[in-house]
Amino acid sequence: MTAVEPQPVGEHRPATGTAVRRKEDTRLLTGRGRYVSDLVLPRMRHVTFVRSPIAHARLSAIDTTAALATEGVHTVFTGEHPAMRAVSLRARSALPGYVETDQPPLARGKVRFAGEAVAAVVADDRYLAEDGAEGVDVDYEPLAPTVCAWAVPTDPVHDEAPDNLLLSRTFRAGDAADALAQADVVVERELTTNRHGGNPIECRAGVARFDGADRRLTFWSGTQVPHLVRTQLAELLELPEGDVRVIAPDVGGGFGVKSVLYPEDVALCLMAIATPDTALKWVEDRVEHLLAATHARDHRYVLRAGFAADGELLAVTADVWCNTGAYSVYPWTAGIEPLMAGGLLTGPYKLSHYEATVRGVATNTSPSGPYRGVARPSTVFAMEALMDSGARALRMDPIALRRRNLILPADIPYKMPSRLVDDSGAYEACLDRAVEVFDVERWRAEQARRREAGERPIGIGVGIYNELTGLGRAASAGPRMPFRTGHDACTVRVNPDGRVTVFSGVTSQGQGLETTMAQVVADALGVAYDDVTVRYGDTDESLWGFGAFSSRQAVIGGGAAQLAGTDVRDKVLALAGALREVDVSDLDLRGGQVYVRGQEKPVIALAEVARVAYLQSDRLPEGFEPGLEGTKFYDPVRGAFAAGVQIAALEFDPVTGGTTILSWVCVEDAGTIVHPVIVDGQIAGAIAQGIGGAMYEHLVYDDVGNLTTGTLLDYLMPTAGEIPELTIDHVSTPAANPTGARGVGEGGTLAPNAVVAGALADALGVEVDDLPVTPARIWALLHGGADR
Amino acid sequence: MRITLTVNGTRHRLDVEPRRTLADALREDLGLTGTHLGCEHGVCGACTVLVDAEPARACLMFAVQADGSTVRTVEGLAAPDGTLDPLQEAFSTCHGLQCGACTPGMLMTATHLLEVEPAPDRERIRAEMAGHICRCTGYMGIVDAVESAARAVRAPS
Ligand code: FES
Ligand code: FES
Repeated sequence: MTAVEPQPVGEHRPATGTAVRRKEDTRLLTGRGRYVSDLVLPRMRHVTFVRSPIAHARLSAIDTTAALATEGVHTVFTGEHPAMRAVSLRARSALPGYVETDQPPLARGKVRFAGEAVAAVVADDRYLAEDGAEGVDVDYEPLAPTVCAWAVPTDPVHDEAPDNLLLSRTFRAGDAADALAQADVVVERELTTNRHGGNPIECRAGVARFDGADRRLTFWSGTQVPHLVRTQLAELLELPEGDVRVIAPDVGGGFGVKSVLYPEDVALCLMAIATPDTALKWVEDRVEHLLAATHARDHRYVLRAGFAADGELLAVTADVWCNTGAYSVYPWTAGIEPLMAGGLLTGPYKLSHYEATVRGVATNTSPSGPYRGVARPSTVFAMEALMDSGARALRMDPIALRRRNLILPADIPYKMPSRLVDDSGAYEACLDRAVEVFDVERWRAEQARRREAGERPIGIGVGIYNELTGLGRAASAGPRMPFRTGHDACTVRVNPDGRVTVFSGVTSQGQGLETTMAQVVADALGVAYDDVTVRYGDTDESLWGFGAFSSRQAVIGGGAAQLAGTDVRDKVLALAGALREVDVSDLDLRGGQVYVRGQEKPVIALAEVARVAYLQSDRLPEGFEPGLEGTKFYDPVRGAFAAGVQIAALEFDPVTGGTTILSWVCVEDAGTIVHPVIVDGQIAGAIAQGIGGAMYEHLVYDDVGNLTTGTLLDYLMPTAGEIPELTIDHVSTPAANPTGARGVGEGGTLAPNAVVAGALADALGVEVDDLPVTPARIWALLHGGADR
Repeated sequence: MRITLTVNGTRHRLDVEPRRTLADALREDLGLTGTHLGCEHGVCGACTVLVDAEPARACLMFAVQADGSTVRTVEGLAAPDGTLDPLQEAFSTCHGLQCGACTPGMLMTATHLLEVEPAPDRERIRAEMAGHICRCTGYMGIVDAVESAARAVRAPS
């Protein structure tokens, strides 16, 4: 785990597979990071949004007189401002029956959730802008709010959807009803999962500046998807795409929350266009973030599963409601959670008979969007709850029942009941390894001993999952949107001094992609890791990348980096061969030096080849163009499924409902690992967020749509005091892509719901149907009565 | 109001409104943007700085309350030639940071911990760092880093 040491000339130690020092660390550790929140531009003004305190209301008059009279305030924008009036974010999908709805940059006509922005105040600094916001007087005529996705609305959220249903789809394979009728055992569960969210430590932030003379917009944004944002802004603002530049510098965490283009982002850009040559800055605070950044995982599952007497899973039926909140999230649509839920519910298990109806239902709550693991923390909880109930009904060991039904290497490629194709098959290998590392037998013995001795009970929980990573065009993320997210580009440029600059389409919110891309290119090209610099997150620098979501960047951005590096290596060798009159097939490039295979001394240095390519065209052989760079796209077409298993032992205190995690083991198949410490860091961080969702984090609305958990005193995220020491281990089956990597960004979040709920049932014999598993919930399950 | 602050060894005279937070004075008026804001209501710990050698949440303190004080921020940890201090070094080698948003606060609290308690065990480190939220790392790398920096400081090689 130390930095690479300087290496002798010509030696090439592969960077892949080693824990090289992260390129981003020095600036982030010394307070020299470049976050949007830190950006200062000359004569910059600051924006504060005025947010609705009411969940559902008609907007009548907005009086801005007092605000405009406030010292330091320049302008106040509302939804009816000529700059705003005509613009709507409209998440599009060709899915049959999907109801398209509009989201205005600032509310128009009515407000649909508490926290929706109704006006924006521009002032000399943030304090003054907030003073101004207090002077904005809004008249609301309340309408009946709907908070619950399975309640019948009085006043619909959108007129276009009188029943609030924005989309519904049924997945069907085989004949589930018939198979249930034939089953020896049928179990039923009715589950809800808790609304929570990503909550990156840096909240949302943006700076927009419009150059009036050139009519060019620059938008600095803490976004995970700068190129997508550029395309969308160009469309929405009717600017040529080449005149929009989106820059995502250092970003303080994302987790999906920042893969959305928000109405505030669009409003900020529209205001910048309306006030040319003046930079406008918006930095969100945490209270706003909890209110108005996307939420996730507010779902209900009504489930039945049928098993044969030997444990074979015969059929699953599911009715699923996903609360999509007030707007169909742009650009991912209200389909993002329900379709993922229906598509991946059956997880790593073989199944022929499946019927699942999933719904996306609008309510007067903050919109739901992508959050690490999209829907699968809920579906893995649902599926594993069926497995645990099945094991109890069949009197089988829960691990044995799971093992009986896993997709095995011999089944690959396996067409899931939703017709997604699973290329993994590493579930049993992960399970075997997890059982061994965790030492199930030891914990079972300890469990028995405690029962005997009357000590505090412990339970063992299990979660097995498939993480769908690196989705290519055939498996593209999102529901039939107007774009397919299968590819990324990478440009590798050898500079005139022989050092290398990589212009990658990836983005990073902490995942260390700057480092990972440098490792991949260093090895593909044949140069030292320290000689590679990576640029990313700026649409004027990198050709194209869809950004960070669906655990895709190591696979797709890494694939493009590998291909581009190889392309440039070929160019270097061709030029070197021509310069030295050696056959190219005899040449090799290592550590920045070109060798004839089998010879100890290099024939030419990369730096000299580069010098010829840029500065000495008189030396360029016939047929060679100046310059030394290459650009490649990569699309894996399908995806790389990543298998994972988590097993944990938890201790419960029946008197207080308190829970202590005693041991937590995770085994994942990350394929070929580029940077072992970054990979384990992704897994550990994901598990911690999963544990947060399983045990602590809950965004709670009251019946009229007020968020009652609006600060970090009410919305609890786990700290070093709650997250235990985690044991992370691997099996490795390289994926069929240029780097062999499988994505690891999300897998860790998928199991903790299942693990915690499973452990509780195992310890105390009570099935928990509603998350999170809090002390109050445990106490209520054991002693009866309400849990809040 | 006119105040004087000594930040990372340099004296600054500032004219601030009474309502201006210490965090904003550091970030906006002195350009020391290494001190981050994660919640602005005293829970996440990202804004932690040392005021007269004690950890303080710069989002909850007004700049005027720090008048006459000595403040240390993340920018003051590395040596003037850029050499990282042992904690910064350990955070890098132990992967105690990902996005870096929580990191300055973590570093300042850990700096204080190692100054008052040179040999904390893991449990003690976890308890002390539990006033901070990190959304990225799952904390193990952070605990490893503080533990290993403590060892490095005790036995400089
Ligand atoms: S910003 Fe000060 S504690 Fe969160
Ligand atoms: S490193 Fe991102 S919040 Fe801690």
